[in-house]
Amino acid sequence: MTRSSSLAVALGVIGVVFIVIAALYAVGVLQIATSSASGPHYKHAILFAVLAVASFVGANFARPKAAT
Amino acid sequence: MGLLQGASELFPVSSLGHAVIVPSLLHWSFKQSDPSFVPFLVLLHLGTATALLVLYRDQWVAIVRGFITAAIRGQMKTDTERLAMLLLVGTIPAAILGVFLESRIKSLFASPYLAAGFLVVNGILMLGFETIRRRAERRAALAGESRREQEAHFGSAERISFVAAAIVGACQALAFLPGISRSGVTIGGGLLAGLRHEEAARFSFLLATPVILGAGLVEVPGLFQSGVPVGEYLAAAVLAGVAAYASARFLLRYFRSGRLDPYGWYCIAAGLASLALLHFKP
Repeated sequence: MTRSSSLAVALGVIGVVFIVIAALYAVGVLQIATSSASGPHYKHAILFAVLAVASFVGANFARPKAAT
Repeated sequence: MGLLQGASELFPVSSLGHAVIVPSLLHWSFKQSDPSFVPFLVLLHLGTATALLVLYRDQWVAIVRGFITAAIRGQMKTDTERLAMLLLVGTIPAAILGVFLESRIKSLFASPYLAAGFLVVNGILMLGFETIRRRAERRAALAGESRREQEAHFGSAERISFVAAAIVGACQALAFLPGISRSGVTIGGGLLAGLRHEEAARFSFLLATPVILGAGLVEVPGLFQSGVPVGEYLAAAVLAGVAAYASARFLLRYFRSGRLDPYGWYCIAAGLASLALLHFKP
């Protein structure tokens, strides 16, 4: 993966956005692309939580490392 | 049903397709349109996932450790760390497609005709994967060598590229179509990515575990709410797990030198026979 500070920041921000989306699905506020129009959607919430973790991992991989 | 699902889940013959077709052919009192049908199947899949966790328990411990280490360090230094990241990359496309396409795909579940048709397609895919693999073997001038020597020229799961892992992972979503085998398309994808048959099967089994577990954990509460015989269903899940464990052990041994062809021919024959039986049944 190409290492750059801007990519790391972007992935970090995306991760935060995914966490917010996960929380909105979990409390039932967000109903986009769901099979029922009311209630919490835990499957969607878990998916976006996993995507958030993946984004943060990607951000850490993209972060420039100090030479050892 | 538990034995059937467990035995057929890891074989590249589509457990879901069999679960939809067989009860219809045998007139089992199983309503596939019943709201508890999919959670029941998911419970059986949980049995399978548990079997895979038991089979690969040491590897999973190493993979989880490797994932945490690599994620914190921001670098992959070992094959296990790379495999952990490959599994993450491979799982995400299947999870996204599964979550967002699930409700549309569920509407196909109730049709044994569709399942039988997709079973034929699955068989053609298996034969196609092996045809492409044989071309690769011819290009590498491996024609005169034994099967084990041929296999030795191909790679291990840890060496697959990240793009290939994502594509193989996305292929898992095809298995939401009853009749298309998750293990079949992922083993086939692994073969196209240059893995040995045994390694393609191992990568397929490792890749399937988080998706099956994740799907199971969110569906099971619905099963317990629907007033179904939970004891019977749990017994079926245990049977599925035992059958899946035995199947996985058999397949890993089989794929040391075996190919997908027999399963491809089986799927075509079973799909066509099912279509005929469904059409002419009283």
